[in-house]
Amino acid sequence: MIRPLLAAALGLALTVPALAHDPRPGPNGGLKVDAGQRHHAELVANGTPQVVVFLYDQNDRPVPAQGYRANAILIVAGATQRFALAPGDGNRLVGSASVPVPAGAKGAVQITGPDGTTAQARF
Amino acid sequence: MTTTSSMRFGFLILLGLVLGGLPVVAHEGHDHGAPPPPVSITIAPRVDASSADFELVAIARGTKLRIYLDTFRGSEPVHDAEIDVDGPGGTVKAMVTSDGAYLVDAPWLAQPGTHDLAFTIQARGTIDVLTATLTIPDPAPMQAATGGLWHQMVGAALARDIEARLATRDASLWIVGAGSFFAGLLAARLLRRRSSRPAAIAVLAVLAVAGARPLQAASPTVPSSVPTLAERDVAQRFADGAIFVPKTTQRILGIRTLFTEVRTFAGTVELPARVISDPGAAGHVQASVTGRLAPPPGGFPRLGTRVSAGDVLAFVQPAIGAADVTSQQQQSRELDQQIAIVERRLERFRQIQGVIARSQVEDGELELQGLRARRANLERAQREPERLVAPVSGVIAAVQAISGQIAEPNAIIFQIVDPARFWVEAMSFEAHAITGSANGRFGDGRTVPLAYRGSGLADRNQAIPIQFSVEGAARGLRAGQFLTVLASTSDERSGIAVPRTSVLRGSNGQSIVYEHTNAERFVPREVRVAPLDGSQVLIVSGIGASKRIVTQGAELLNQIR
Repeated sequence: MIRPLLAAALGLALTVPALAHDPRPGPNGGLKVDAGQRHHAELVANGTPQVVVFLYDQNDRPVPAQGYRANAILIVAGATQRFALAPGDGNRLVGSASVPVPAGAKGAVQITGPDGTTAQARF
Repeated sequence: MTTTSSMRFGFLILLGLVLGGLPVVAHEGHDHGAPPPPVSITIAPRVDASSADFELVAIARGTKLRIYLDTFRGSEPVHDAEIDVDGPGGTVKAMVTSDGAYLVDAPWLAQPGTHDLAFTIQARGTIDVLTATLTIPDPAPMQAATGGLWHQMVGAALARDIEARLATRDASLWIVGAGSFFAGLLAARLLRRRSSRPAAIAVLAVLAVAGARPLQAASPTVPSSVPTLAERDVAQRFADGAIFVPKTTQRILGIRTLFTEVRTFAGTVELPARVISDPGAAGHVQASVTGRLAPPPGGFPRLGTRVSAGDVLAFVQPAIGAADVTSQQQQSRELDQQIAIVERRLERFRQIQGVIARSQVEDGELELQGLRARRANLERAQREPERLVAPVSGVIAAVQAISGQIAEPNAIIFQIVDPARFWVEAMSFEAHAITGSANGRFGDGRTVPLAYRGSGLADRNQAIPIQFSVEGAARGLRAGQFLTVLASTSDERSGIAVPRTSVLRGSNGQSIVYEHTNAERFVPREVRVAPLDGSQVLIVSGIGASKRIVTQGAELLNQIR
């Protein structure tokens, strides 16, 4: 009786999804988080108005940013900064805020892919 | 392991895989922490998001997005926030509604699919961005379904079909039911005999074909019975005991939560006790002689009358026994006689003042004076009543006085207490090392703070009396009331302190608390509790730190079926 139960339990256990990825440091000195189901995004701000978002796929391989668009909503010094990000070199999406953005700024980035699908990353 | 058993083993693994759900489509790691919101066809599409400060629920109704915002830790509604929603329609500001929610015009809600939303919240001096993905289900998912989704489609279609057939009392349902039963019996017999594997396989094959046919037939009938959304979401309990409570209902029930943290508390003992009057502020009025009670001018003080120390509360007219009266009369006659003798003698002395010593006259005068004083005293002692005065200031708590009543010297005629000063006497059957503070809890749930005063060393009824004074204004107390004293001892325990109202009794008699796991989901958790103080209990095990426990409205949640 125990063996069939064990087998069924094993089958059940195989289908349980893994736990979420926590925000973690990215290779470019920013914070890397999950963006939607298929992407990872790393936000890099360094005290200047320029903000860069690096795009990766779910296996952390860089994704060319051509064709992608993004909107950033960042909290800087107690106020919200909204600005657009445009594709840059490689897997970069680049945008400029109206005020300097310190490293580790909180907020969200909404990314629209070339096929119109959207993804969100919360930092 | 024989071939048959290994085959069965493999089959069971396969069964487990199917039962556990389809293989996960998303790549691993994209679970956003919170378990998925409850899926029910009668609940409006909704999404929730939370941060360390806020918890938000957005509900799609028609082309409006309704947003409910609460604080994360306490689940208190936030009515004065500014919310901007970044969605498919650009950035839209949410309007505050009269019922404390926020409303956003969202024409894009008419399109099925997933919509990424970012909520920028500005409230209470903090600013926060929350993200969520709202999924609007396709109103006619059957047509769009492809072969890959065969399992899900058949499941939903079958359920709806059976529902529809039950509603119309379709005879085919009964026929299928009865047929399945007999087919099951037949299969069991064949498999049990293990006579021939081909026979068993044949039975399974027949069952599979028979099962598949009605399902395929059922599909075309589905669009006519697509469920419509209910006007409002209702709370419901799931099979695992978790409850889905929409935000609107949570607001009505006044749900509040507490963010748990593990702390170390002093040990606590529960002792039965009763209220006694403060020995330093209470007084008894007793007569010292047997006598007849007489009221002072204005009558006896009534119950509840405030008196001050020294006030005359009653008079006692001493009752004199017959023997005493005789001896008193005798004494007074004797005194009268002596007075007469001394008066005579003094008169004679005065007449012959020149020949006798002056001191003799003076002695006689003093003797007469003394005798007259004694005589007067004796008369007064018969008439003068004893005055009963209040020994302390306070309120008359008990009266045993009736005019004309004979008061015995030991009887308590009046009890005076200070209503602002009470003590509590607890009985302890064990020797506890009780430290400074304690709490008293009455039967109706009221609590009073207590301070330890001392404990007796002599047993009384095999227990040690321990006395506490009631701290602060002790309103509504009376001597003799029963209560439970929760006194802290010198040993320490660690756990989570929660209000007494959080802990409920489950249907199986176990103590449970409700954990607020998601914005609209509450899960009962079994816990072990220990007494802590009058208003709180200590959760010793069953739940950890950084969880949200329902403190207000838990009783109401427990009634949701």
